Amino acid sequence: MESATVQGAPGGATRSNDPEKKGLSTKAKVLIGFGIYFALAILLLLIFGNDGKNEAFKPQNEFKLEPWLTIELAGIDFSINKAVLYLFLASALTIATMTWIAKRMVEKPNRVQTAVEVAYDLTKNTITGGSLHGELARKWFPFIGALFFWIWFSNMLGFLPLPTNTEHTFSIGGLEIPSFAIYAATANIAIPLVLTLVVWLSYHVEGIRAKGALPYFKSWLPPGLEDMHPVGKAAIFIIEVISHFVRLISLSVRLFANILAGHLLLLFMGGGLAVLLGIAALGALTFPLAFAFFIFEVGLVATLQAFIFSTLSAIYIGGATSASH
Amino acid sequence: MELLGYIVPLAAEAAEHGEESGGSFLVSPGLGLMIWTLVLFLITMWVLSKVAFPKIQEALDKRANAISESIDAAERQRKESDELLAEYRARLAEAREQADDIMVRARKSAETAEAEAAAAGKEKREELVAAAKRDIEAETRRSLDQIRQEVADLTVLATERVTRKSLTGEDQKRLVEEALSEVDFSTLSGSEKN
Repeated sequence: MESATVQGAPGGATRSNDPEKKGLSTKAKVLIGFGIYFALAILLLLIFGNDGKNEAFKPQNEFKLEPWLTIELAGIDFSINKAVLYLFLASALTIATMTWIAKRMVEKPNRVQTAVEVAYDLTKNTITGGSLHGELARKWFPFIGALFFWIWFSNMLGFLPLPTNTEHTFSIGGLEIPSFAIYAATANIAIPLVLTLVVWLSYHVEGIRAKGALPYFKSWLPPGLEDMHPVGKAAIFIIEVISHFVRLISLSVRLFANILAGHLLLLFMGGGLAVLLGIAALGALTFPLAFAFFIFEVGLVATLQAFIFSTLSAIYIGGATSASH
Repeated sequence: MELLGYIVPLAAEAAEHGEESGGSFLVSPGLGLMIWTLVLFLITMWVLSKVAFPKIQEALDKRANAISESIDAAERQRKESDELLAEYRARLAEAREQADDIMVRARKSAETAEAEAAAAGKEKREELVAAAKRDIEAETRRSLDQIRQEVADLTVLATERVTRKSLTGEDQKRLVEEALSEVDFSTLSGSEKN
């Protein structure tokens, strides 16, 4: 109770400081806002107290893939689950949006067309054109452009609440409907990993095709080692080989971990942390942060990660084919 | 080798432990899902590269062409209008020059006409004056002759009265003529004779 009055005090003090002023200064408003914010949290803490750590709640289960329709072919699990649904949605959305806009391209563009044109120009001239030139750019642009748009739509779709949580359902007129939840296909390691594998194999194939197998592997060695002892060269070559394999992890995990972390943050800020720790009052503190993180994720991370993934893909292909390492 | 023998079971144990706590599925990629991803991504890429990208490129190229064409057209028109402007300026200058020329000539001809008119007027006046003088002279001479005639006649008449004798016309005339030639009539003909 004591701390509650202390928190409330700055607001009151500021108000009494300038009684002649009708409107409150921005500083006073901010202080009052924070005062109310913390006071509310403390009030809730006093009312609901601490229920102790919640062992039953596992936030990671939000990302667990429950098979909705089990399909198994040649020993491989092709079950339709949440991730497969999101893949379908992302692909359908990418194809539908892009072809719809592409077919309605006009001389004087509206805002949506302008946005798509900017994105197209970004993938074509900045991402692809920045690393690849001439015939190679023409050849690889569809792949890199598709990577960007597909990952972008997939990331953005991940912030749209959809009724996909079959673990928890709610009932409307006797109909059991899965809870609305947010999930992203790219928050599953399998998806970035397979894209990374395609990029990884592509750039090696392209490198070997451009330079020949042996010169290509030789080109992994950085320039300036001509006079080095073969053992030293071999050691550096091994490091380079490792670095190429590390790309498999870095490229895939960057995308996966960013999206997963973003979703976990939203989950925790949106109430998960309060449930997990059993402190209801914490929810009042973290809930506004969920909005801030949501805007951050939608406005920046979703696009940035799509950009980084496609840019690095272009850089890898460009690096494998360029004359000097 | 011994180290490897130690690490592998440890990793397996870690994975197992992870499975128990329910978190390892986050980092264990499913092959089925990977194949789904590959198939769906390739379909998306195929459609984008066959339908969406060429159409967008076409529209962008078309616009770029239209822009460059309109820039060219604008450049052309600017050049044309510059030329036109220069031509008009030249014509205007020419017209102004002509106008000035015309003005100069008009002024000159006006001056000439004025001078000519003045000269003609003067000549005419002089002519008139001269004619008037001639007329006056002739009239004067006629008047003098007439006066002389009348004086002669009157003299004859007077002499007849005085002498009661008439002389023959021949004599009289000769006498009068003689007398009159002695009289100075110059005072009657005015200033001309003076």
